[in-house]
Amino acid sequence: MKSPGISTWLRANFHRHETKLAALLLLLGIALAIAAPRFFSSVNLALLARSMGVLLIVSVGMLNVILSGGIDVSAGAILAVVSVVLVRLGNHGLSASAVLPLGLLTGAALGAVNAALIAELRIPPIVATLGTAGLFRGLLLEWTQGEWESSIPGWLNAVGSPRWGGLDASVLAAALVVLAAAWILHRTQIGRALFRFGDSPVAAARTGISRRQPIYFAYVSLGLLTAVGAVFYAAQLGAVQGNAANGYELTVIAAVVLGGADILGGRGSLVGTFFGVLLLCSLQQALVLLHVATFWQNIATGAIVLVGVILSAAPHIRRRVVLPQSASA
Amino acid sequence: MTLSSPASLEKFGSSAPKFAERMGVLRASPHLQPGVVTLLVLFFCVYVGYRSGDFWSALNWQLLSQPLAEAGLVSIGMMFVIASGGIDLSAGAIVGVAAVTAGVAAHHSLSVPAIEAAALSAGLLCGAFNGVLIGVFRLSAILVTLGSMILFTGVALAISTGSSFSDFPNGLLWWNDATLSGVPVEFLLFLATAAVAAILLRYTLWGHYVIAVGSNRVAARYSGYPVALTLFCVYALQGLLCGLTGILLVARLASARADMGQGLMLMAIAAVVLGGAPIAGGSASVIATVVGVAAFYIVQDGLLLLDVPPFIQHALTSVLLLVSVATGNLLRGNGEDRQ
Repeated sequence: MKSPGISTWLRANFHRHETKLAALLLLLGIALAIAAPRFFSSVNLALLARSMGVLLIVSVGMLNVILSGGIDVSAGAILAVVSVVLVRLGNHGLSASAVLPLGLLTGAALGAVNAALIAELRIPPIVATLGTAGLFRGLLLEWTQGEWESSIPGWLNAVGSPRWGGLDASVLAAALVVLAAAWILHRTQIGRALFRFGDSPVAAARTGISRRQPIYFAYVSLGLLTAVGAVFYAAQLGAVQGNAANGYELTVIAAVVLGGADILGGRGSLVGTFFGVLLLCSLQQALVLLHVATFWQNIATGAIVLVGVILSAAPHIRRRVVLPQSASA
Repeated sequence: MTLSSPASLEKFGSSAPKFAERMGVLRASPHLQPGVVTLLVLFFCVYVGYRSGDFWSALNWQLLSQPLAEAGLVSIGMMFVIASGGIDLSAGAIVGVAAVTAGVAAHHSLSVPAIEAAALSAGLLCGAFNGVLIGVFRLSAILVTLGSMILFTGVALAISTGSSFSDFPNGLLWWNDATLSGVPVEFLLFLATAAVAAILLRYTLWGHYVIAVGSNRVAARYSGYPVALTLFCVYALQGLLCGLTGILLVARLASARADMGQGLMLMAIAAVVLGGAPIAGGSASVIATVVGVAAFYIVQDGLLLLDVPPFIQHALTSVLLLVSVATGNLLRGNGEDRQ
């Protein structure tokens, strides 16, 4: 006999995107338990957690941007710029206490450039970040001349090396980032303003929310979190170059979207984003374990993103028909 | 992404001075941004011609016109997609699928028309896949094409099993070698496609539907327009044009690889936007799109001849995009309406 508490909870949450994602994850888990039981070994789970760290950190930033109704395709370029800055300055002999703040500052500053283009010059987000992606990447490649930084400073190496039973600092950092984001998004004024602004900029303006504040918050926080991700990206790879993380932004957007965030803004959740990252990473890990060829990994990832899009759109198709685009933008 | 409201219409209603009225009309004109871009590029051409003797040589323009034609075909498809209120992130991946399909077809020593038909139908099939999901199932264009971009990249890798193809028949390479009184056939094909696209956009019911769907999808649906079919055709056409681009790329490079279309997608979006089309849809001009894509390639070629380091060229073309879109916005003064 089900207790009434559980059945009410189920009824209330059955149509939530997170529930569907959890069901999808459960299916994947069952399939893996049969096809590749090795997936659930502690070594592999630790590897999975390590591979999720950077993606989750950047995805939380991208969630902020998508909640604001925007999109950022320059995240991969920012990740590359910051990781090269960190490694180059570190190799020049600067101490960790000087390099880390500089790296984070670089990320936040590049995010602020995006925000300024969008908020002050009113360039549509996809165009603005398309332009800055080319700009950042071009300047970075000119600076590095396309060469690899094949050694990283010792302290950075220590950051990326596994301890605590195979986990590294990126897992801890990702957990802290998610907790902090949960607090900011749900318990602070700027977080609530982000949701309201993304849902309807016009209505938000009527209730006294400026358009600058949420835009700057979203893009600067993405820049900052991308910089945090870059620390662990460089640390885990042990070498960086100007073309690093090419196309990474699309993986990040895919993870957030798979997590049920509405690309029109105003709707999305951290839990969903976490599930999205978990689904993408465990799928990749599983396909590697099963010795599947690379192109099947692409096909499976693309298919799962499309499934996520269909799942998240299904209950809203009616809404999309009734509401004009301009009202939901 | 909101639609631009008729701020200029209100100006007609008031009894403003004639000069201000004219300025208002000019500022609201869709020809403003392509006009300014054309002027800037012409100045740039004069400057480069003064600094480098090779710029005005026929060879330079021949070499320039071929990649321009390939990017131009994708841009024209992208113009219809953006005009209909969508975006296609999978365009580059479709070019890759078409290219490796041509490669496999050539590997099985099919005839040249069969190779071309195979590549075109591969492109068309990919576009139709997007079209069904976006038009019929009403899913978000950016999300569907993000997923299908990853999917098609995998399909292209699967078809080619990760290897590259060469040994194409001479009949196919004809597309690269042939010229008509000095002008590469590839470029003429692009101009012909542009002319057909302009006719489709201006003089057919379908062109009217595309603009209507892009301006206000709900109004279009309530007006009884075939929204699903219109969108399906938009993405199918984009797939077909990507297939054509795949053939031209294979002919020019005499090889086929899965990642061939990389970069074309972003270039096409940037070209359409540089021509002044609003990214939210509802407006399109073939001439403006051609101006946009030509501006990118001419500026890149000029910077190359000026010995600007290649990575700086990349950065400068991005700056060109940002500056022209920002000035277009500020001149039109309709920033308030665009979020």
